[in-house]
Amino acid sequence: MTSNTASNASADGIRQVAGARSTSVVLQDLSRSFGTTRALDGLSIRMAPGELVALLGPSGCGKTTALRIVAGFESADSGSVLVDGKDISSVPSAKRDMGMVFQSYSLFPNMSALDNVGFGLRMRRIGTADRRKRAGDLLDMVGLAPQAKQYPHQLSGGQQQRVALARALAIEPRVLLLDEPLSALDAKVRLQLREQIRTLQQRLGTTTLFVTHDQEEALSMADRVGVMQHGRLEQIAAPDELYKHPATAFVAEFVGVMNRIPAELQDGEMVTALGSSVPVRNQRADVSAGPVDVLVRPEGLTMQVIEGGNGIVTTRTFLGSVTRVAVLLSGEVTVQIDKKLPGRHAGPGYVGLGDPPRRPGADSVKALAAYPNRPAGA
Amino acid sequence: MAAVADTKAVESPQRTARPGRAKSFPVWRWVILLVAAVYFLIPLWSALRFAGIKALGSVVSQAGFTDALWLSVRLAIVTTVITIALMLPTAVYVHLRLPKVRRLLEGITILPIVIPPVVLSVGVLQVAPGFLKSTPYVLALMYVILAMPFAYRAIDAGLRALDLKTVVEASNSLGAGWITTLFRVVLPNLTTALLSATVLTVALVLGEFTMASLFLYQTFPVWIVVFDQTSGQVSVAASLLALFVTWLFLMAITVIGTRRGRRTGRGQVTLFTVARQETKGGA
Repeated sequence: MTSNTASNASADGIRQVAGARSTSVVLQDLSRSFGTTRALDGLSIRMAPGELVALLGPSGCGKTTALRIVAGFESADSGSVLVDGKDISSVPSAKRDMGMVFQSYSLFPNMSALDNVGFGLRMRRIGTADRRKRAGDLLDMVGLAPQAKQYPHQLSGGQQQRVALARALAIEPRVLLLDEPLSALDAKVRLQLREQIRTLQQRLGTTTLFVTHDQEEALSMADRVGVMQHGRLEQIAAPDELYKHPATAFVAEFVGVMNRIPAELQDGEMVTALGSSVPVRNQRADVSAGPVDVLVRPEGLTMQVIEGGNGIVTTRTFLGSVTRVAVLLSGEVTVQIDKKLPGRHAGPGYVGLGDPPRRPGADSVKALAAYPNRPAGA
Repeated sequence: MAAVADTKAVESPQRTARPGRAKSFPVWRWVILLVAAVYFLIPLWSALRFAGIKALGSVVSQAGFTDALWLSVRLAIVTTVITIALMLPTAVYVHLRLPKVRRLLEGITILPIVIPPVVLSVGVLQVAPGFLKSTPYVLALMYVILAMPFAYRAIDAGLRALDLKTVVEASNSLGAGWITTLFRVVLPNLTTALLSATVLTVALVLGEFTMASLFLYQTFPVWIVVFDQTSGQVSVAASLLALFVTWLFLMAITVIGTRRGRRTGRGQVTLFTVARQETKGGA
């Protein structure tokens, strides 16, 4: 099938071989419709060898369809998938050499963990002894060597997904495909497994496409995150770039916490919001002066407790290094503000927003982006 | 067959009932069990009284017994093989590719229960070509139709418990083609369901009378009725013996299926569903 040159079955052997043949993947103008809905509408992504790209978006945005087209479980109406420069559209899924981890538990119930991991090797006609050794090594790599003899129903959800990961990696895939592999797990396991997947992926250098609706997962694991909506790629960028310079309002509001505050855009690049004028970052070209909404991150706002201020603190959430305070402003606008120091006021009370900051030089309101006002209630 | 279905029906509520509830109604459970036992055991006991123990021994040596039994066994085997060969790929295909057709197929497979066997037999007699009518295996072909509702439901339940689509795709992505996937991944996980289907089909064939007698073939049930005119006692003894042997056979299949199921966590062979065992927690 493929060049299984790894006669050396140790984890090192696997690493070297996988690293040596890291693969580039190009999704070219993929479109796919189901009935009247366009699941994918001209999606293009270039993945560098060894890169982990996450596709992030709400359900129904087409991210899973994209992954399934790469895996060969769906076919695109138009466009193509190139792996190392070769169009693989006509290659059946069984010959694509792609390891996949599914959202639901996908282990074969009739096989032990070891046999599950060895299944792909068996399909590649690797001898029993060699196969068992390699499968054992991989189970060891995901920390499940003691569970080798157990059947899937004896394993917890997290363990099952780790076996599934080992099984996908056992075939030394050219591309690793992860279809929301963590969403069925509980929070703590999810966090551990997230780190484990990333560490392994970096060690093996396997080009990986990761689909998720969980932005935290995407931002923490991926080299680059592609945010999708309605079958289109809104923006693809490194996590911090995505956070700091969102290309569209959808990305800005989908990634991280974002406040939408009514404001007045002046000529030039200044905007007046909450009584102070600040420069606008990432201004859209098609917005003219007048009433707009500005998008501001919670850390871009400051607050101060004053008598007769213009906001009411409704909730306070302690997040460790910051406390996130929800403030209700006039006009039914609620904003989230991150306060660095532990709040000095004991409970709900009146606060002033956008008052002159105590530290000179710091903006009281930092506008990240300006967008046209949306009609109320939209 | 009735006896097997009965033990299951009495057993399963006990297993699934919540302990708290079960404890508060122990009397009722015993009453129900007793009523059911009386209902099923009295006819059996009466039959045994009527036939006498001696008649049981003489059944085997009666004229035509071996031929009739052998014919029924052959028909059971052929019917089961054809039924599974037809229903398994159909059910798998429908699950994977045509999930919307599942309802329709369920409706179609229930038809044989609604249509009386007499109607089916007369219809087949009218239409079937001569060479088919001259072999007893024409019965097997009709039994396949009769067995369809049971076999389909058993296999369907097994497929539902498996998450077929994901497992097939996983196998595919690991490099297994369709045939390999079917034999190495799908079939081993359906043994319980297939055993259920087999149990039902075999029980059905071994007990079917109407069609066989209309087609003038002396299957085991037909032989019992015919022999009844010669010696009532021996005929009843034969029925008892048949019941016992069938019951033993079905129990054996069930026990084997359950033991296999326990190892891989596939759940128990019950007649209509394959109960899925819960996986250990989410953590």
